[in-house]
Amino acid sequence: MLRRLACTVVQSRGIKHTVNVKWVRPDYVPSYKPEKSGDLEGLPPIPESALGKDYALSEEIKDASEAVKKIFSVGHLGRKEYNVLVKKEMMDRVKRHQYDQGSAETKIAYLTGQIRYLQDTMDKFPRNKRMKQLVQERIDRRKKLLKYLRQYDYKKFEWILEKLNIEYKAHPDSFHKLSRKESLKRLTEMHCDDIRNKKLADYRSLLESQQGPFLKQKLEALKFIRNEQQELQLQVTVTEQDIQKVEKLLADWTIKDEIKQQAQKKKKSILLDSD
Amino acid sequence: MARNVVETARKFLLLGQCVPTVKQNAAKIRVKRLELDENLLMYFRKDEFYYCHDPQKVCKTGDIVLIQSLPQKLTKLITHEVKEVVYPFGDITDPITGKKVAKERYREDMDRQAEIYGKLPSSFDYDKAPSRGWQDGKKDFTSKPTYTKFHVFDENDPYAI
Repeated sequence: MLRRLACTVVQSRGIKHTVNVKWVRPDYVPSYKPEKSGDLEGLPPIPESALGKDYALSEEIKDASEAVKKIFSVGHLGRKEYNVLVKKEMMDRVKRHQYDQGSAETKIAYLTGQIRYLQDTMDKFPRNKRMKQLVQERIDRRKKLLKYLRQYDYKKFEWILEKLNIEYKAHPDSFHKLSRKESLKRLTEMHCDDIRNKKLADYRSLLESQQGPFLKQKLEALKFIRNEQQELQLQVTVTEQDIQKVEKLLADWTIKDEIKQQAQKKKKSILLDSD
Repeated sequence: MARNVVETARKFLLLGQCVPTVKQNAAKIRVKRLELDENLLMYFRKDEFYYCHDPQKVCKTGDIVLIQSLPQKLTKLITHEVKEVVYPFGDITDPITGKKVAKERYREDMDRQAEIYGKLPSSFDYDKAPSRGWQDGKKDFTSKPTYTKFHVFDENDPYAI
Protein backbone atom coordinates (compact mmCIF):
# COMPACT_ATOMS: atom_id res chain seq x y z
CA MET A 1 0.00 0.00 0.00
CA LEU A 2 2.72 2.41 1.08
CA ARG A 3 4.87 1.51 -1.88
CA ARG A 4 2.03 2.17 -4.27
CA LEU A 5 1.42 5.55 -2.66
CA ALA A 6 5.09 6.45 -2.94
CA CYS A 7 5.02 5.45 -6.61
CA THR A 8 2.13 7.76 -7.39
CA VAL A 9 3.83 10.61 -5.56
CA VAL A 10 7.19 10.15 -7.27
CA GLN A 11 5.77 9.39 -10.67
CA SER A 12 5.39 12.71 -12.41
CA ARG A 13 6.11 14.11 -15.81
CA GLY A 14 9.19 16.26 -15.45
CA ILE A 15 8.36 19.11 -17.74
CA LYS A 16 4.90 19.56 -16.41
CA HIS A 17 5.95 20.07 -12.81
CA THR A 18 9.42 21.55 -12.79
CA VAL A 19 8.82 24.32 -15.28
CA ASN A 20 6.13 26.85 -14.64
CA VAL A 21 4.51 27.08 -18.06
CA LYS A 22 0.81 27.00 -18.65
CA TRP A 23 -0.40 25.67 -21.92
CA VAL A 24 -3.66 26.79 -23.48
CA ARG A 25 -4.70 24.70 -26.45
CA PRO A 26 -5.77 26.94 -29.32
CA ASP A 27 -9.44 26.70 -30.20
CA TYR A 28 -10.43 24.76 -33.27
CA VAL A 29 -11.15 27.09 -36.17
CA PRO A 30 -12.89 25.51 -39.18
CA SER A 31 -10.79 25.89 -42.30
CA TYR A 32 -13.49 27.72 -44.26
CA LYS A 33 -13.42 30.64 -41.80
CA PRO A 34 -11.98 33.95 -43.08
CA GLU A 35 -9.18 33.93 -40.49
CA LYS A 36 -7.95 30.64 -41.98
CA SER A 37 -8.56 31.48 -45.64
CA GLY A 38 -6.98 34.93 -45.29
CA ASP A 39 -9.95 37.04 -46.38
CA LEU A 40 -9.77 40.37 -44.60
CA GLU A 41 -13.19 41.62 -45.68
CA GLY A 42 -16.59 40.09 -46.14
CA LEU A 43 -19.08 40.48 -48.95
CA PRO A 44 -18.95 43.73 -50.92
CA PRO A 45 -21.74 46.22 -50.08
CA ILE A 46 -24.29 45.43 -52.78
CA PRO A 47 -27.79 46.77 -51.97
CA GLU A 48 -30.79 44.45 -52.22
CA SER A 49 -32.33 46.87 -54.73
CA ALA A 50 -29.49 46.39 -57.24
CA LEU A 51 -30.70 44.95 -60.55
CA GLY A 52 -29.67 41.50 -61.70
CA LYS A 53 -26.57 41.39 -63.91
CA ASP A 54 -28.26 40.71 -67.25
CA TYR A 55 -31.45 42.63 -66.53
CA ALA A 56 -29.45 45.80 -65.83
CA LEU A 57 -28.35 45.82 -69.49
CA SER A 58 -31.93 46.03 -70.73
CA GLU A 59 -33.20 49.34 -72.18
CA GLU A 60 -36.75 48.89 -70.96
CA ILE A 61 -35.83 48.61 -67.30
CA LYS A 62 -34.32 52.10 -67.24
CA ASP A 63 -37.70 53.84 -67.40
CA ALA A 64 -39.72 51.08 -65.78
CA SER A 65 -41.84 51.60 -62.69
CA GLU A 66 -40.61 50.95 -59.15
CA ALA A 67 -42.61 47.73 -58.90
CA VAL A 68 -40.97 46.29 -62.04
CA LYS A 69 -37.52 47.32 -60.80
CA LYS A 70 -38.27 45.59 -57.53
CA ILE A 71 -39.14 42.37 -59.32
CA PHE A 72 -35.82 42.39 -61.18
CA SER A 73 -33.74 43.36 -58.15
CA VAL A 74 -31.35 40.84 -56.57
CA GLY A 75 -33.37 40.96 -53.37
CA HIS A 76 -36.30 39.52 -55.25
CA LEU A 77 -34.47 37.37 -57.81
CA GLY A 78 -32.69 35.43 -55.11
CA ARG A 79 -29.27 34.62 -53.75
CA LYS A 80 -27.95 33.17 -56.99
CA GLU A 81 -28.26 36.48 -58.83
CA TYR A 82 -26.75 38.31 -55.86
CA ASN A 83 -23.73 36.01 -55.98
CA VAL A 84 -23.26 36.78 -59.67
CA LEU A 85 -22.97 40.45 -58.72
CA VAL A 86 -20.45 39.60 -55.99
CA LYS A 87 -18.21 37.79 -58.47
CA LYS A 88 -18.58 40.65 -60.98
CA GLU A 89 -17.63 43.21 -58.33
CA MET A 90 -14.50 41.28 -57.38
CA MET A 91 -13.47 40.82 -61.01
CA ASP A 92 -14.04 44.49 -61.82
CA ARG A 93 -11.40 45.43 -59.27
CA VAL A 94 -8.59 43.77 -61.23
CA LYS A 95 -9.79 43.38 -64.82
CA ARG A 96 -7.27 44.20 -67.55
CA HIS A 97 -9.85 44.81 -70.26
CA GLN A 98 -13.54 44.28 -70.87
CA TYR A 99 -13.21 40.70 -72.10
CA ASP A 100 -10.61 39.59 -69.56
CA GLN A 101 -11.67 36.24 -68.12
CA GLY A 102 -8.65 33.98 -68.17
CA SER A 103 -5.82 36.01 -66.67
CA ALA A 104 -4.47 34.92 -63.30
CA GLU A 105 -5.72 38.01 -61.49
CA THR A 106 -9.29 37.64 -62.78
CA LYS A 107 -9.29 33.95 -61.89
CA ILE A 108 -8.16 34.80 -58.37
CA ALA A 109 -10.78 37.55 -58.12
CA TYR A 110 -13.52 35.18 -59.35
CA LEU A 111 -12.54 32.56 -56.78
CA THR A 112 -12.40 35.24 -54.09
CA GLY A 113 -15.97 36.24 -54.89
CA GLN A 114 -17.08 32.63 -54.69
CA ILE A 115 -15.23 32.08 -51.42
CA ARG A 116 -16.75 35.17 -49.80
CA TYR A 117 -20.37 34.31 -50.54
CA LEU A 118 -19.85 30.64 -49.71
CA GLN A 119 -18.30 31.65 -46.38
CA ASP A 120 -21.31 33.85 -45.76
CA THR A 121 -23.67 30.94 -46.39
CA MET A 122 -21.53 28.59 -44.30
CA ASP A 123 -21.97 30.90 -41.33
CA LYS A 124 -25.73 30.45 -41.69
CA PHE A 125 -25.61 26.69 -42.29
CA PRO A 126 -22.47 25.37 -40.59
CA ARG A 127 -23.52 21.72 -40.96
CA ASN A 128 -23.64 21.84 -44.74
CA LYS A 129 -20.84 19.38 -45.54
CA ARG A 130 -21.09 19.66 -49.31
CA MET A 131 -20.66 23.41 -49.15
CA LYS A 132 -17.78 23.10 -46.72
CA GLN A 133 -15.98 20.99 -49.28
CA LEU A 134 -16.76 23.48 -52.05
CA VAL A 135 -15.29 26.38 -50.07
CA GLN A 136 -12.20 24.39 -49.21
CA GLU A 137 -11.61 23.49 -52.85
CA ARG A 138 -11.86 27.11 -53.89
CA ILE A 139 -9.61 28.35 -51.09
CA ASP A 140 -6.96 25.80 -52.02
CA ARG A 141 -7.16 26.61 -55.72
CA ARG A 142 -6.84 30.33 -55.02
CA LYS A 143 -3.85 29.72 -52.78
CA LYS A 144 -2.20 27.69 -55.51
CA LEU A 145 -2.80 30.43 -58.09
CA LEU A 146 -1.41 33.03 -55.66
CA LYS A 147 1.64 30.85 -55.09
CA TYR A 148 2.32 30.65 -58.83
CA LEU A 149 1.66 34.35 -59.32
CA ARG A 150 4.17 35.10 -56.58
CA GLN A 151 6.75 33.02 -58.39
CA TYR A 152 6.49 34.68 -61.78
CA ASP A 153 5.27 38.19 -60.98
CA TYR A 154 5.88 39.45 -57.47
CA LYS A 155 4.76 43.02 -58.11
CA LYS A 156 1.37 41.91 -59.39
CA PHE A 157 1.07 39.47 -56.48
CA GLU A 158 1.46 42.26 -53.93
CA TRP A 159 -0.91 44.52 -55.86
CA ILE A 160 -3.61 41.85 -55.97
CA LEU A 161 -3.32 41.21 -52.22
CA GLU A 162 -4.01 44.90 -51.67
CA LYS A 163 -6.83 45.12 -54.22
CA LEU A 164 -8.78 42.06 -53.10
CA ASN A 165 -7.81 42.42 -49.43
CA ILE A 166 -6.36 38.93 -48.98
CA GLU A 167 -3.62 37.73 -46.68
CA TYR A 168 -1.09 35.28 -48.03
CA LYS A 169 0.77 32.92 -45.73
CA ALA A 170 3.11 30.27 -47.05
CA HIS A 171 2.49 26.63 -46.17
CA PRO A 172 4.22 25.47 -42.98
CA ASP A 173 7.01 22.89 -43.21
CA SER A 174 4.77 20.15 -41.91
CA PHE A 175 1.07 19.78 -41.39
CA HIS A 176 0.56 17.66 -38.28
CA LYS A 177 -1.87 17.27 -35.48
CA LEU A 178 -0.95 19.45 -32.57
CA SER A 179 0.26 17.46 -29.56
CA ARG A 180 0.52 18.40 -25.94
CA LYS A 181 4.11 17.19 -25.76
CA GLU A 182 5.30 19.30 -28.68
CA SER A 183 3.55 22.41 -27.39
CA LEU A 184 5.01 22.02 -23.92
CA LYS A 185 8.45 21.43 -25.39
CA ARG A 186 8.30 24.61 -27.41
CA LEU A 187 6.90 26.62 -24.51
CA THR A 188 9.67 25.32 -22.25
CA GLU A 189 12.28 26.28 -24.83
CA MET A 190 10.85 29.78 -24.96
CA HIS A 191 10.82 29.97 -21.17
CA CYS A 192 14.48 28.90 -21.02
CA ASP A 193 15.41 31.44 -23.70
CA ASP A 194 13.69 34.16 -21.70
CA ILE A 195 15.65 33.24 -18.58
CA ARG A 196 18.93 33.16 -20.50
CA ASN A 197 18.29 36.50 -22.19
CA LYS A 198 17.27 38.11 -18.93
CA LYS A 199 20.44 36.93 -17.19
CA LEU A 200 22.59 38.13 -20.08
CA ALA A 201 20.87 41.53 -20.08
CA ASP A 202 21.33 41.86 -16.32
CA TYR A 203 25.02 41.01 -16.57
CA ARG A 204 25.43 43.45 -19.43
CA SER A 205 23.82 46.29 -17.49
CA LEU A 206 26.01 45.47 -14.50
CA LEU A 207 29.17 45.68 -16.61
CA GLU A 208 27.96 48.87 -18.28
CA SER A 209 27.30 50.49 -14.91
CA GLN A 210 30.92 49.77 -13.96
CA GLN A 211 32.22 51.39 -17.16
CA GLY A 212 31.70 54.98 -15.94
CA PRO A 213 33.72 54.85 -12.74
CA PHE A 214 36.48 52.95 -14.53
CA LEU A 215 36.67 55.55 -17.30
CA LYS A 216 36.87 58.37 -14.73
CA GLN A 217 39.71 56.57 -12.98
CA LYS A 218 41.46 55.96 -16.29
CA LEU A 219 41.17 59.61 -17.27
CA GLU A 220 42.68 60.76 -14.00
CA ALA A 221 45.47 58.24 -14.26
CA LEU A 222 46.32 59.22 -17.83
CA LYS A 223 46.39 62.91 -16.96
CA PHE A 224 48.57 62.22 -13.94
CA ILE A 225 51.02 60.15 -16.00
CA ARG A 226 51.25 62.83 -18.67
CA ASN A 227 51.87 65.57 -16.12
CA GLU A 228 54.53 63.54 -14.34
CA GLN A 229 56.29 62.70 -17.60
CA GLN A 230 56.29 66.36 -18.64
CA GLU A 231 57.55 67.54 -15.26
CA LEU A 232 60.35 65.00 -15.10
CA GLN A 233 61.18 65.67 -18.76
CA LEU A 234 60.85 62.03 -19.71
CA GLN A 235 59.59 60.69 -23.01
CA VAL A 236 55.85 61.49 -23.17
CA THR A 237 54.01 58.25 -23.93
CA VAL A 238 50.46 59.49 -23.29
CA THR A 239 49.26 61.73 -26.11
CA GLU A 240 46.49 64.32 -26.03
CA GLN A 241 44.50 62.14 -28.39
CA ASP A 242 44.45 59.26 -25.92
CA ILE A 243 42.99 61.50 -23.27
CA GLN A 244 40.45 62.96 -25.68
CA LYS A 245 39.37 59.47 -26.68
CA VAL A 246 38.70 58.51 -23.08
CA GLU A 247 36.87 61.80 -22.49
CA LYS A 248 34.63 61.11 -25.46
CA LEU A 249 33.87 57.59 -24.22
CA LEU A 250 33.01 58.99 -20.80
CA ALA A 251 30.69 61.62 -22.31
CA ASP A 252 28.93 58.94 -24.34
CA TRP A 253 28.56 56.76 -21.28
CA THR A 254 27.03 59.57 -19.18
CA ILE A 255 24.41 60.25 -21.88
CA LYS A 256 23.55 56.56 -22.09
CA ASP A 257 23.43 56.21 -18.33
CA GLU A 258 21.03 59.14 -18.00
CA ILE A 259 18.68 57.66 -20.57
CA LYS A 260 18.79 54.33 -18.80
CA GLN A 261 18.07 55.82 -15.39
CA GLN A 262 15.17 57.84 -16.74
CA ALA A 263 13.70 54.69 -18.27
CA GLN A 264 14.07 52.89 -14.94
CA LYS A 265 12.36 55.77 -13.13
CA LYS A 266 9.48 55.66 -15.60
CA LYS A 267 9.12 51.91 -15.12
CA LYS A 268 9.07 52.33 -11.35
CA SER A 269 6.46 55.07 -11.49
CA ILE A 270 4.28 52.97 -13.80
CA LEU A 271 4.56 50.05 -11.41
CA LEU A 272 3.65 52.28 -8.44
CA ASP A 273 0.69 53.71 -10.35
CA SER A 274 -0.59 50.29 -11.25
CA ASP A 275 -0.32 49.20 -7.61
CA MET B 1 33.98 12.53 -50.43
CA ALA B 2 32.19 14.68 -47.93
CA ARG B 3 35.38 16.42 -46.91
CA ASN B 4 36.21 17.26 -50.53
CA VAL B 5 32.83 18.82 -50.97
CA VAL B 6 33.27 20.92 -47.86
CA GLU B 7 36.71 22.11 -48.97
CA THR B 8 35.61 23.07 -52.45
CA ALA B 9 32.59 24.82 -51.00
CA ARG B 10 34.96 27.01 -49.05
CA LYS B 11 36.97 28.02 -52.10
CA PHE B 12 34.28 28.75 -54.65
CA LEU B 13 31.20 30.83 -54.92
CA LEU B 14 27.95 28.95 -54.36
CA LEU B 15 24.62 29.51 -56.02
CA GLY B 16 21.62 29.09 -53.77
CA GLN B 17 18.13 30.21 -53.03
CA CYS B 18 17.13 32.35 -50.08
CA VAL B 19 14.58 30.63 -47.83
CA PRO B 20 12.45 32.10 -45.03
CA THR B 21 14.16 32.33 -41.65
CA VAL B 22 13.55 33.83 -38.23
CA LYS B 23 17.13 35.12 -37.99
CA GLN B 24 17.10 38.88 -38.37
CA ASN B 25 20.70 39.65 -39.22
CA ALA B 26 21.40 36.74 -41.54
CA ALA B 27 19.99 35.18 -44.67
CA LYS B 28 19.41 31.45 -44.88
CA ILE B 29 20.49 30.08 -48.22
CA ARG B 30 19.63 26.65 -49.59
CA VAL B 31 22.17 25.14 -51.95
CA LYS B 32 20.90 22.22 -53.99
CA ARG B 33 23.31 19.40 -54.69
CA LEU B 34 23.13 15.96 -56.18
CA GLU B 35 24.65 13.12 -54.23
CA LEU B 36 25.62 9.80 -55.76
CA ASP B 37 24.22 6.74 -54.08
CA GLU B 38 26.95 4.20 -54.77
CA ASN B 39 24.71 1.17 -54.29
CA LEU B 40 22.07 2.30 -56.73
CA LEU B 41 24.41 4.38 -58.91
CA MET B 42 21.85 7.11 -58.91
CA TYR B 43 21.97 10.73 -57.98
CA PHE B 44 19.68 12.02 -55.26
CA ARG B 45 18.98 15.56 -54.31
CA LYS B 46 20.64 16.80 -51.16
CA ASP B 47 20.12 20.27 -49.76
CA GLU B 48 22.65 22.19 -47.74
CA PHE B 49 21.79 25.26 -45.74
CA TYR B 50 24.16 28.15 -45.10
CA TYR B 51 23.56 31.17 -42.94
CA CYS B 52 24.97 34.20 -44.68
CA HIS B 53 25.98 37.61 -43.44
CA ASP B 54 23.80 40.21 -45.12
CA PRO B 55 23.94 43.59 -43.33
CA GLN B 56 22.25 45.60 -46.12
CA LYS B 57 19.50 42.97 -46.51
CA VAL B 58 19.95 42.76 -50.25
CA CYS B 59 18.38 39.36 -50.65
CA LYS B 60 14.75 38.57 -49.97
CA THR B 61 12.97 35.24 -49.71
CA GLY B 62 13.13 33.31 -52.96
CA ASP B 63 16.01 35.21 -54.57
CA ILE B 64 18.78 33.25 -56.26
CA VAL B 65 22.05 34.55 -54.82
CA LEU B 66 25.78 33.97 -54.98
CA ILE B 67 27.45 33.32 -51.65
CA GLN B 68 31.04 32.96 -50.55
CA SER B 69 32.54 31.72 -47.33
CA LEU B 70 33.94 34.29 -44.93
CA PRO B 71 37.64 34.08 -44.03
CA GLN B 72 36.55 33.61 -40.42
CA LYS B 73 33.29 32.49 -38.95
CA LEU B 74 31.28 35.52 -37.90
CA THR B 75 29.26 33.62 -35.32
CA LYS B 76 28.70 29.97 -34.59
CA LEU B 77 26.06 29.93 -37.32
CA ILE B 78 27.07 32.54 -39.89
CA THR B 79 29.79 31.19 -42.14
CA HIS B 80 29.14 32.81 -45.51
CA GLU B 81 28.33 36.19 -46.96
CA VAL B 82 25.97 37.20 -49.73
CA LYS B 83 27.93 38.40 -52.76
CA GLU B 84 25.26 39.25 -55.26
CA VAL B 85 21.62 38.72 -56.11
CA VAL B 86 21.62 36.97 -59.47
CA TYR B 87 17.92 36.43 -60.10
CA PRO B 88 15.41 38.41 -58.00
CA PHE B 89 12.33 36.34 -57.20
CA GLY B 90 9.27 37.00 -59.33
CA ASP B 91 10.95 39.63 -61.48
CA ILE B 92 12.26 37.69 -64.44
CA THR B 93 14.20 39.20 -67.32
CA ASP B 94 14.59 37.39 -70.62
CA PRO B 95 18.37 36.92 -71.07
CA ILE B 96 18.26 37.20 -74.87
CA THR B 97 16.12 40.29 -75.43
CA GLY B 98 16.54 41.84 -71.98
CA LYS B 99 12.80 42.40 -71.65
CA LYS B 100 10.74 41.67 -68.56
CA VAL B 101 8.77 38.46 -68.58
CA ALA B 102 5.72 37.18 -66.72
CA LYS B 103 5.43 33.42 -67.10
CA GLU B 104 5.80 32.63 -70.82
CA ARG B 105 4.92 36.10 -72.15
CA TYR B 106 6.57 39.50 -72.34
CA ARG B 107 4.98 42.11 -70.12
CA GLU B 108 4.80 44.63 -72.97
CA ASP B 109 2.94 42.12 -75.12
CA MET B 110 0.34 41.69 -72.42
CA ASP B 111 0.02 45.46 -72.15
CA ARG B 112 -0.42 45.77 -75.93
CA GLN B 113 -3.10 43.11 -75.92
CA ALA B 114 -4.95 44.97 -73.19
CA GLU B 115 -4.68 48.22 -75.13
CA ILE B 116 -6.11 46.63 -78.27
CA TYR B 117 -9.09 45.27 -76.32
CA GLY B 118 -9.45 48.58 -74.50
CA LYS B 119 -7.43 48.95 -71.35
CA LEU B 120 -9.41 49.55 -68.16
CA PRO B 121 -8.19 51.75 -65.29
CA SER B 122 -8.45 48.73 -62.99
CA SER B 123 -5.62 46.95 -64.85
CA PHE B 124 -2.21 46.59 -63.28
CA ASP B 125 0.45 49.10 -64.30
CA TYR B 126 4.04 47.89 -64.02
CA ASP B 127 5.54 51.39 -64.24
CA LYS B 128 3.59 52.75 -61.28
CA ALA B 129 3.96 49.63 -59.15
CA PRO B 130 6.28 49.98 -56.15
CA SER B 131 9.18 47.55 -55.86
CA ARG B 132 8.77 44.33 -53.95
CA GLY B 133 8.40 44.46 -50.19
CA TRP B 134 5.66 47.04 -49.56
CA GLN B 135 3.23 44.35 -48.41
CA ASP B 136 5.79 42.39 -46.41
CA GLY B 137 4.44 41.85 -42.89
CA LYS B 138 1.10 43.44 -43.79
CA LYS B 139 -0.62 41.05 -46.16
CA ASP B 140 2.30 39.05 -47.47
CA PHE B 141 3.68 36.75 -44.77
CA THR B 142 6.45 34.89 -46.53
CA SER B 143 9.66 36.30 -45.07
CA LYS B 144 9.52 34.01 -42.03
CA PRO B 145 8.56 30.35 -41.83
CA THR B 146 4.99 29.62 -40.79
CA TYR B 147 4.17 27.03 -38.15
CA THR B 148 1.21 25.32 -36.56
CA LYS B 149 -0.31 27.42 -33.80
CA PHE B 150 0.54 25.71 -30.52
CA HIS B 151 -0.47 28.13 -27.77
CA VAL B 152 -2.76 31.08 -27.16
CA PHE B 153 -0.45 34.04 -26.62
CA ASP B 154 -1.49 37.56 -25.71
CA GLU B 155 -0.15 38.81 -29.01
CA ASN B 156 -1.31 36.99 -32.09
CA ASP B 157 1.55 35.95 -34.34
CA PRO B 158 0.53 36.14 -38.03
CA TYR B 159 3.00 33.38 -38.88
CA ALA B 160 1.10 30.89 -36.69
CA ILE B 161 -1.45 28.97 -38.70
